[in-house]
Amino acid sequence: MGIEPNSDNNSSTGGDIRLKSGREGLMGWLNPTRYGWERVPYWLQRLTGVGLLIYFIGHIYETSSLVNGINAWNSMLELTQTTGGHIFLLLVIGASTFHTINGLRLIFTESGIGIGRPGRPDYPYDATSLNYKQKSGIWVALLLATIAMLYGGMVMFGDVN
Amino acid sequence: MPLLKLRESQIMKIHYLTGICAIFFVAIHILFRIGMGMSFNESLEYHNVVANYHNIYYVILLELILVFISIHGFNGLRIILLELKQNQWWESTITILVLAAMIGVIAYGTRTIIIGSQL
Repeated sequence: MGIEPNSDNNSSTGGDIRLKSGREGLMGWLNPTRYGWERVPYWLQRLTGVGLLIYFIGHIYETSSLVNGINAWNSMLELTQTTGGHIFLLLVIGASTFHTINGLRLIFTESGIGIGRPGRPDYPYDATSLNYKQKSGIWVALLLATIAMLYGGMVMFGDVN
Repeated sequence: MPLLKLRESQIMKIHYLTGICAIFFVAIHILFRIGMGMSFNESLEYHNVVANYHNIYYVILLELILVFISIHGFNGLRIILLELKQNQWWESTITILVLAAMIGVIAYGTRTIIIGSQL
């Protein structure tokens, strides 16, 4: 990462410094190396968040057909209440469950809960904050998302009310 | 100068609070689809949905869900976009666009709730 004086406003005029190539952008965001297993929930939290926002906007649009009467509502249901629509809804259920549980884990973490006590950095310099509580929290989020999807599947495709 | 007179730590507290509240509100919303003594598909029939909109408590719940998830969702999008790139122009532009989109979604959803409750 190179740092160079800003040529428009150099150090002799009290100018700032500009990072030459310090920004990695989307590729840095997608880079799976350097971060370990915790990078996966980092991605999933953001991907599920964006996915759920898109679903939320679509759901508001879908529901607005209500104001145009029963025919418009039934036409919209014909589009969404299909096998494909139900499979999409299962993905939404899984995404929302993961996003919720992992989000709660992140709130606890940011509040200092579950990250352990600070310790001396000894070789191989594993971060003490990335402990079994954090890792098990990630697995619990994935497990509950799977269970929620199974239950959702039984409601939509089975006889469960 | 930041566009919003809120510190990032304050915005994150709003983000967490709206997220936690949304969990409870959405849980109740889902119970109206699968926990009212009828099947999921039956609960989506036009007259059942309109009946839901005549329940003032459900209408308030829908509006709260709309506002809380819009704030949480669009602020989440802002956070992701600010992680990708950082400078004053980008931050201000993203904040303006996200706020505009959030207000638009809330306005459109509120319109449906108001008209739906009068059907």
